Amino acid sequence: MRRLLALVLLVQALHGGLANAAAKNLVLVVTDPYLEMHSGPGRGYPVIYVIGRDELVTVLYSRTDWFKVRSLRGNEGWVRRADLARTLSESGEPAPIPPYPDFASHRWELGAGYGVYNRENLVTAYADFGLTTSLDVEFAVQQAFGTLDNRYIASIGVRHTFIPEWKWFSPTAGIGTAYQYIQDKVPPAPLQKSNEMAYVSVGARGFITRRFLWRVDWRHYVVFNNQNVYEDLEEWKFGLAVFF
Amino acid sequence: MEIRLSCILLAAALLSGCSWFHRGNKAPAEVVAEQPQGEPSIIEPQVPRRVVKTPHIKAKDFELGGYYGVLSIQDFGTNPLYGVRAAYHVSEDIFLEGYVARSKAGTTSLEDVFPNITVVSDSGRHFTYYDLDVGYNVLPGEIFLGRGRAFNSALYVTVGMGDVKFADKDQFALNFGVGERLLITDWLAVHVDVRDHIFETSLTGRTKNVDNIEATLGLTIFY
Repeated sequence: MRRLLALVLLVQALHGGLANAAAKNLVLVVTDPYLEMHSGPGRGYPVIYVIGRDELVTVLYSRTDWFKVRSLRGNEGWVRRADLARTLSESGEPAPIPPYPDFASHRWELGAGYGVYNRENLVTAYADFGLTTSLDVEFAVQQAFGTLDNRYIASIGVRHTFIPEWKWFSPTAGIGTAYQYIQDKVPPAPLQKSNEMAYVSVGARGFITRRFLWRVDWRHYVVFNNQNVYEDLEEWKFGLAVFF
Repeated sequence: MEIRLSCILLAAALLSGCSWFHRGNKAPAEVVAEQPQGEPSIIEPQVPRRVVKTPHIKAKDFELGGYYGVLSIQDFGTNPLYGVRAAYHVSEDIFLEGYVARSKAGTTSLEDVFPNITVVSDSGRHFTYYDLDVGYNVLPGEIFLGRGRAFNSALYVTVGMGDVKFADKDQFALNFGVGERLLITDWLAVHVDVRDHIFETSLTGRTKNVDNIEATLGLTIFY
């Protein structure tokens, strides 16, 4: 009964939120001869309504590069970003449609990729925050699959992009610190189950299209152990990322 | 005259010296706001500046949901599977997706025939995986239900990699899938997926690549 009450309250809260959101929708004035509304958020969906010049449209929400709009007559459809960006706000200013994220000055990057770590298959996922156009902080979580053990690696480091204005190919270099946890698969057990590490890296990155970029990275890790021996590991990886 | 002047200077120097010693706990000087000296303007603006706040356009690019179906674990029978999925739609064509799911393997034919033989321990029969995929909407379109109803849909393919934990061991696994997404509303979607998880194992004696095919029905919301 209490759960039901909680659910009802949650639904009411969500409903209230939606109602409030509806009250604050963006209203735009069409300046092109007409604005085409498609039946779906994609280039192939047919045009189902057309809004004439000087008419008003309400922007409801967006999905990728498409915006769901509603005309004054209540017809709803999807409009592409480039078309909606040519409308005006009610005060006569250009429509505040967020521009496409710029590759040169993007802030956040989320990516994943495949690599080889210590001759083991590696799955990597990472987030990258740009402090400047050429310097960023990278956080990575990785899992390496070996025949003798599995390793989980978390790392944080800084990376320098040498020529950020080279869009398609730009070399990078970085340094950072990492932590690895070794999960044993086949005896004998490793002498140490976890290590701190430090790494240097060289790599490259480049723009692909729209919001995508690629990265290649080679890392050399130095493992801090208590065995009084020098231990190092190598890793390379290739990743695809989206930027914001 | 000269003596009096030097006395005054000396006293002033002493006083300033005393004040030097006390400077640590001297009360901060009060700052008096300067009053406008000019005459008040004849027209005082009564209208406050209009603050134009641009409404935010909600982007519904994320998709979150769950799925349920069957997973055929090679050599271990077909068993129920349940999982969660999250996706980010980058463009109208491409999306990135992550899955976490779990199933429990049955028995092998060998174990069925010879009940005393155990290939995998009971706790090792859990089949858990995570995947990081990239998907492509190959055939977007509309599906018609009767005369007056059309739903947006897309046939998509996915490829990715991840971890399969089976028999208490983590293995690197590749996966390939095909699925159909049917949007009931702009925020609610039904998925039908078929996906193959391929990894290398030597559980049944020799090392081989095993195909573990799943067929699932899922429900997701866009937000």
